[in-house]
Amino acid sequence: MADSDELSTRQGQVQVYFTTNSIDIELPEGKRQLLVPTDVRRYGLSQILNSESMLDTPAPIPFDFLINGTFLRTTLDEYLTANGLSSETTLNLQYVRSLIPPLYEASFEHDDWVSCVDVLSGSSTAGSWDVQGITAGNERILSGSYDGLLRVWNKSGQAITTSVSSSAGGHTSSIKSAKFISTSQIASSGLDRTIRIWKYTESEDGFTADLKPTMELYGHKGSIDSIDVHGPSNRILSASTDGSIGLWTTQKSSAPAAPAELLTSGPTAKRRKLTTSTSTPQRGPLSLMSSHTAPATAAIFNPLDSTVAYSASQDHTVRTFDLATSSLVDKRTASHPLLSLTALPGISTQLLAAGTSARHITLLDPRISAASTQVMTLRGHTNKIVSLSPDPESNYGLISGSHDGTCRVWDLRSSRQGTKDEGGGLVGEAVYVVERESQKADSRRLVGGEGIKVFGVVWDKDVGIVSAGEDKMVQINRGRGVTRAEGA
Amino acid sequence: NIDPASLLPKLPRPEELKPFPTVCSTLFRGHEGRVRSLAIDPSGVWLASGGDDGTVRVWELLTGRQIWSAKIGDEEAVNAVRWRPGRDTVILSAVAGEDVYLLVPPIVDPQTDAASRELLDKGFGHATNATQALTANGARKEPVAKWTRPGSRLEDEGVLIKITLRTTVKVISWHRRGDFFSTVSPTAQKSAVAIHTLSKHLTQIPFRRLPGIPQTVQFHPSRPLFFVATQRTIRSYDLQKQELVKIIQPGARWISSFDIHPGGDNLIVGSYDRRLLWHDLDLSTRPYKTMRFHSKAIRAVKYHKGGFPLFADASDDGSLQIFHGKVVSDMMENATIVPVKVLKGHKVKSALGVMDIDWHPREPWCVSAGADGTCRLWM
Ligand SMILES: [Mg+2]
Repeated sequence: MADSDELSTRQGQVQVYFTTNSIDIELPEGKRQLLVPTDVRRYGLSQILNSESMLDTPAPIPFDFLINGTFLRTTLDEYLTANGLSSETTLNLQYVRSLIPPLYEASFEHDDWVSCVDVLSGSSTAGSWDVQGITAGNERILSGSYDGLLRVWNKSGQAITTSVSSSAGGHTSSIKSAKFISTSQIASSGLDRTIRIWKYTESEDGFTADLKPTMELYGHKGSIDSIDVHGPSNRILSASTDGSIGLWTTQKSSAPAAPAELLTSGPTAKRRKLTTSTSTPQRGPLSLMSSHTAPATAAIFNPLDSTVAYSASQDHTVRTFDLATSSLVDKRTASHPLLSLTALPGISTQLLAAGTSARHITLLDPRISAASTQVMTLRGHTNKIVSLSPDPESNYGLISGSHDGTCRVWDLRSSRQGTKDEGGGLVGEAVYVVERESQKADSRRLVGGEGIKVFGVVWDKDVGIVSAGEDKMVQINRGRGVTRAEGA
Repeated sequence: NIDPASLLPKLPRPEELKPFPTVCSTLFRGHEGRVRSLAIDPSGVWLASGGDDGTVRVWELLTGRQIWSAKIGDEEAVNAVRWRPGRDTVILSAVAGEDVYLLVPPIVDPQTDAASRELLDKGFGHATNATQALTANGARKEPVAKWTRPGSRLEDEGVLIKITLRTTVKVISWHRRGDFFSTVSPTAQKSAVAIHTLSKHLTQIPFRRLPGIPQTVQFHPSRPLFFVATQRTIRSYDLQKQELVKIIQPGARWISSFDIHPGGDNLIVGSYDRRLLWHDLDLSTRPYKTMRFHSKAIRAVKYHKGGFPLFADASDDGSLQIFHGKVVSDMMENATIVPVKVLKGHKVKSALGVMDIDWHPREPWCVSAGADGTCRLWM
């Protein structure tokens, strides 16, 4: 009798073993193994974990569960059936703090396509280089537009300053990339083949500000689609459609002279000269590294060592440069043109993520010692991936911006084996898709991302996920807890 | 009993022939009315287009952003836009009505801009008399073309040279070295085909007689041969020896377009009577393969020139068809031709669909110009 009772109980239950990488929410050894009903889903498991006899958390922590690298999205029973497993199996459940959808917060309207965004906050790169820091509530958002203008916004969506037009020393064509170097300095670049350095000064009350052009940098022969900055060493990196990677200084006194042949020539330049009323100092590059055989699309400093640069190109390669000698150190070849690049710091093995024209993200290990180059492929976008930014709170998260009109959040802990058609390997799928709020009312699937292409995205710990695009909007979505740091 | 199908050579499946373009990645909207012609520049960064609204436009290829435009046709359509080959200059040629324009769009650095303008200006000062044809008895005729400045309005926009011919120009085709280009004015009878020398601002009429109305022309990719398509045949001429080399007979009723494989020994032909033909010039003057996939006229055919074994055609049915076309060096073996993808999206307007196509110089990407007023980039 007792035997059959136990059997019937057993039939609706499955043995699970709870694990986590977060030390602060680790279960004592004796509590990790448990018999749970097979009809529970994520929510039920989360309740069990939070209960008095388990973690006994003062306030419930929503958890997500990874089984074999995949987030549980069904009942355990359905999972067992789908994977052809018997309920006699012991399921290994890795629990992580639950993902919170990146909820929409605000949009800032522009007159033209917005190509790039950056954030200045207490936790942003430029903010962290500042001794004084940025206090909460005083964060700033920088946007660059196809109208050739930079704008600095406060979090309420007021543009507290707009850069001057070309006749007063501003860009003569569309801006493609812009970054805060510090709380008082900005760099921007674009189709006019220049990098411009701006002095940024805010009024005491912070409601208005001034952007004064202080230097124009010449050297590239094509559009400069991407720049990166390193404030402490006053360095700028640039990637141009001419295929070269530029290294520049923000210091006027130590910057080489500008190459004369790229300053004035022909009627176009003459006309522009006449209409320019101000004369901003012009300088040239510390070095130009011509190594790529097709347009260079991104150049970044190694976040752990600013004397090392990585670049991505339409020539399918990621290249590593030693900036002390301006020499090419390494080349990694991917299977498709690369349009964006970011470093995922903090992971013990250093990883780069590169967005391709072929609608996926390639994760690669740039170390020369790395045995295999390609680590993982992230799939799901339906158009070119042109911008990437790491999750500021997790070593496993990143966001991508694509011409398909979405930003996608990826959690590298979740992966599956790729199909033969995908070329095998580890494949990751997005955990969230952030759509353009401007397009919410319209359910049509837009051909070629027309009107909604995302051109730039940055993920800031304080401000959130900030993205920019063809809809002439900077859009902000909540960023905290979207993916969660292990052991945070 | 042998199944006859088992004797046919087995064609690879399309999935095995990747990469080839499969989806529309960027849309280019701005033209009013049909887009007649388009071309990606040699660097692969820019797209040029021309259309019924009389404008020539330059776009950022990846984003679809229009960067520059100039109105060169008042009432006339821009029927053709083609970049000058090579990376030393950035020169765009475009035709509107009877005029051929050479332009330097303001998208380049000052050094390249100067080099391009210098090259365009080099011919001024060459004997203007040279731009004349001699009749059989040696008498001087009216010049077949005039090379002039187009006036300050256009010059300020980067349109620097105007070559005026006698009747409407439909086609421009450059020689790979970038000093010669040919134009076709189908209604100009004896002077329908003209060859222009950029460095001398010289226009010559290479043929006194042509056996039909010329449709389009091409320079051979490596040898001094010149191909002229009339409605029914394609003739190749030796330009140095001034003699006819071969008459290619595709068997189509009305040829719209053709292209020469970068290897130089194979040729594709598209026709208004819906035929696509592959010729192996080593084998025969007749087509090696005839294909009928489209329900309406084929307007353009083009080989990939950057190393991929791909070609494409464009049709008034609104679609493009992408083919794998691998040429083997073995003289005994024929090219493998496999249709791999139909690209749909252009809307048919007034019975016209896709007007022109081009391939990216490096990647397996193509662009198409539509009667629906859009250009599209396919990846
Ligand atoms: Mg052969």
